[in-house]
Amino acid sequence: MTLDPALLARLGPLQVRARKVMEGVLTGLHESRQHGHSVEFREHKEYAAGDEIRHIDWRAFAKLDKYYVKRFEMETNLRAMLIVDASGSMAYGRGALTKLQYAGICAGALAYLLARQGDQVGLCIAGDGGTVKGVREFVPFASSTTHVQELLRELEAAAGRGPTLLPAALDFAAEKAARRALMIVLSDLFDTTEASIPALKMLRSRRHDVLLLQLHDREELDFPFDDPTRFLSMEDDRQIEAQPRQIRESYLAEMRSFLESTRRELARADVEVQQIATDQPPDRVLLELLARREAA
Amino acid sequence: MIERLTFAHPAYLWGIAALALPIIVHLFNQRRPRPLAFGAIEFVLRSQRQKARRLRLRQMVLLALRCLLIAAIALALARPSLAPRGAQTAQAVGPQATALVLDASLSMRYRIGQKTLFERARSEALASLDRLGPDEPATVGLCAGAAGFASGIAAPSFDRLAQKRLLQSAQPTYLPSDMTGCLAAAAKELGESPVPGKRIIAFSDLAAHSIRLDAPPPLVPSPRGPGVKPNIVLVDAAQGSDLPNAAVIATAVRPSASLGPRGYEVVATVANNSERPVSGLQVSLKIGETTLAKGFVDVPARGAAKKTLGAVLPAGVVTGRVEIARDEAQGLDEDDGQDFVVHVPRDVKALIVDGSPSSLRTRDEAFFVEAALAPARTGGRIAAQTLDADAAAGASLDSYDVVLLLNVPAPPKAFAEKLRAAVAHRGAGLFIALGDHVDPDAYNDALGDLLPRPLHLIKTAAEPGAPDAEEHAARFGVIEWAHPLFRIFGPAEREGLVSSRTYRYALLKPEGAASHTLASFDDGAPALIEGGRGAGRVLLYTSTVSRSWTDWPIRVSFLPVLQQAVSYLASALEERQPQAAQVGGEREVAAPQGLLVAQILGPDGKPSPMRREKPDAADAIAGPLQLPGLYRPQAAPAKGAAHEDLSLAFVALLDPKESDLRRVDEGELKAQLGGAGSAQVAASSEAAQGTHGTPLWSGLLLLGALALLGEGALTRK
Repeated sequence: MTLDPALLARLGPLQVRARKVMEGVLTGLHESRQHGHSVEFREHKEYAAGDEIRHIDWRAFAKLDKYYVKRFEMETNLRAMLIVDASGSMAYGRGALTKLQYAGICAGALAYLLARQGDQVGLCIAGDGGTVKGVREFVPFASSTTHVQELLRELEAAAGRGPTLLPAALDFAAEKAARRALMIVLSDLFDTTEASIPALKMLRSRRHDVLLLQLHDREELDFPFDDPTRFLSMEDDRQIEAQPRQIRESYLAEMRSFLESTRRELARADVEVQQIATDQPPDRVLLELLARREAA
Repeated sequence: MIERLTFAHPAYLWGIAALALPIIVHLFNQRRPRPLAFGAIEFVLRSQRQKARRLRLRQMVLLALRCLLIAAIALALARPSLAPRGAQTAQAVGPQATALVLDASLSMRYRIGQKTLFERARSEALASLDRLGPDEPATVGLCAGAAGFASGIAAPSFDRLAQKRLLQSAQPTYLPSDMTGCLAAAAKELGESPVPGKRIIAFSDLAAHSIRLDAPPPLVPSPRGPGVKPNIVLVDAAQGSDLPNAAVIATAVRPSASLGPRGYEVVATVANNSERPVSGLQVSLKIGETTLAKGFVDVPARGAAKKTLGAVLPAGVVTGRVEIARDEAQGLDEDDGQDFVVHVPRDVKALIVDGSPSSLRTRDEAFFVEAALAPARTGGRIAAQTLDADAAAGASLDSYDVVLLLNVPAPPKAFAEKLRAAVAHRGAGLFIALGDHVDPDAYNDALGDLLPRPLHLIKTAAEPGAPDAEEHAARFGVIEWAHPLFRIFGPAEREGLVSSRTYRYALLKPEGAASHTLASFDDGAPALIEGGRGAGRVLLYTSTVSRSWTDWPIRVSFLPVLQQAVSYLASALEERQPQAAQVGGEREVAAPQGLLVAQILGPDGKPSPMRREKPDAADAIAGPLQLPGLYRPQAAPAKGAAHEDLSLAFVALLDPKESDLRRVDEGELKAQLGGAGSAQVAASSEAAQGTHGTPLWSGLLLLGALALLGEGALTRK
């Protein structure tokens, strides 16, 4: 069974929706094995007999003409930070769900999943109105069920408004994470400053594992409007009158180019990008995502 | 430009109000966009930014095209046209009742190369007729003659075929034209048409003589108040070019003593109607096909010169022609010559009956008469034979035209009878001069009613030779100078006649048959008295033709009076040039005794129109004379065949005014026709077409179609 957004929209509070999605994902994963453990390099140690040959650092040997073995710090749990863009444009969605609602469901479901396997989950809601610039709400890493509930509450309360302040939020999250973490960013990347992509790259360069779930409404992708329309910006006071039929071609080209360049540029920086239309069932989307990561 | 724009159906201009429609649609479209808060507005902005300007431009172009479409249709329906410069807008609107006036006067025969002005004008008129709109009634008139239109002008109609046929068959006349009268008549006729627009297109050479600048402008009668000024276009058949022309405008024929018997000089007056003097223009005199004389003449610019050509003419009625050389390049050929008719007197045979022959010539009664009638003095026209009274009584008088009884004793009865027969029946003349041999009573008995008045007694005013004879002698008192006997005397020469002295003369009895005193003495007694007797005439001189009673025979005035008297009595009084008639006019032709004028052959050999005052009158009135040249009447007895009587022949001359093709001043002409607002002068009918204005509606429709196409192309995108 898949959970299409229209159905989800009728499911009531986010806890229910997120849980449903999580269940869907879990059903889909069925046989997939649990994992979550990761290792992190700590120091080099001179080779001694008995050490694993495969841990010899051959690059160091080439430089120093001595055998060094890499020693790793084993981590029991993954730390994941959910960064949800709550700018005005995320409030768009004339279908069942707005982008922000869709992002909330996905984030909630992921929080459930991660917490369920004992990983620590944090939440950063990017937007204006917070005490720190670009951060409207922040929930530190934790893995308890109550923590997830709080997180869900924050997600549900989040409203899409104001400009996109994602870059500042990413900086903040990177700082809060302190050490390497999985950064799951949910945004449409509609950023007039065009600083979001460099910020994502920067995040990756700080050795965080970065996953971008780029969300778009179907109308944003297809531009199905016919009648003359005055388009109003959701983040500032810009507006424009247009004959959609006359600009559709040009709009679609612009949009295609944006999606393509985003994917290409972030892929080059080793940032995983999943571009999602909000009319797709979220469980299916997450399932595919997880399957792909599993395969990688 | 704008003030020259006129509309045939101005009501359709309300259609322009429909312009509001596209404007409303445009504004409605501007307001309709519904607002939509949109996430990806950045891309909309980027797309729109590229197109925004173009789009706005397109919106404006679309609006403009739609407005243009509506405006073009509304304007086209209103049928606008661009009136020619100066035309009166008020009447140039819409269809116009049109009168085409074609000048068919003589001057339109002016030839430039091979084509005459008339041919040019006719083709222009035909082209104009073709260009008339189907809703424009028309009428056609040929302007020639004093009456205005040669054959009248009809009310405007749509019978294009008849109008075309009239124009195609039109020929120029030899008449002058009254263009002013024709325009007025055409304007009057236009009043018959209910179409509000009135227009006259006249095709003319615009010769000044055909236009009266002092006449009131032509007006179309209007039931509501004063007339309406029609639009008048005068199409200049000469297209503004100068029309130089030389013409023979007068011909006079008179006897020339220096050329001998029947020697005549023909004086041709040649006019040069051009700005340049003409030199060495050839003038020739033709009798029939024979050229008798040629000469050359220099004529100043805009002037005239006389050329005299001499020739010996045969006796009788002579018809001839004076011609100038034809100009090959251009000119009016018809006025290059003039015909003339001259009656050359016939020879006269006279019998002089000498009542007192004398071996001393100065005492001889016949001496002075013979001297007067000598061939050297009469050009051989008069052949005189002298007989004494006895010989004359026995001679036959049949071969004589005139018998002169000079101081003859009362003739015997037989001779008197012969004289009476010759005079009354044959038309011979009798001249009676008195003297010592004349006994008044015997004369009254012998000649009786042949005398104009019976003789009474001889009066002696003074004794010749007496010291105071000069003082008491009688002089001529009243003289009828206009009589053929005396008309040869000019005012300066009359003294020579008046100053003669007469000492003795016969007084006449007051009673008697019809008589006419030609000259009388200062005491009132008749000196020369004439009486008509049957077919002939009798002239009585109450004194002598010798020096015995008077000194007149030795005076120079005696000779011409006697010569004139003989010719007069013989009905062969010198030359006679019948008065010429005018083309377009009429000429009365008096029938000879006992005959009637049967018909009159024109210069083309065809019978010319004629009429009679009364149905049974013998005389006829020829005319209107259509052609220039010689007209030859035919006379016929009441019952019998007609024969040509050249003594009745006459010529019809062209109006010399027509030879002067000087153009009327354009400014004055326009002023006369009602001002530049309603009248214009054009070089061709192309320009004449301009009076309906340049139609703009077809262009507007094309514009509308283009706007529609453009609108379609823009909205499809």
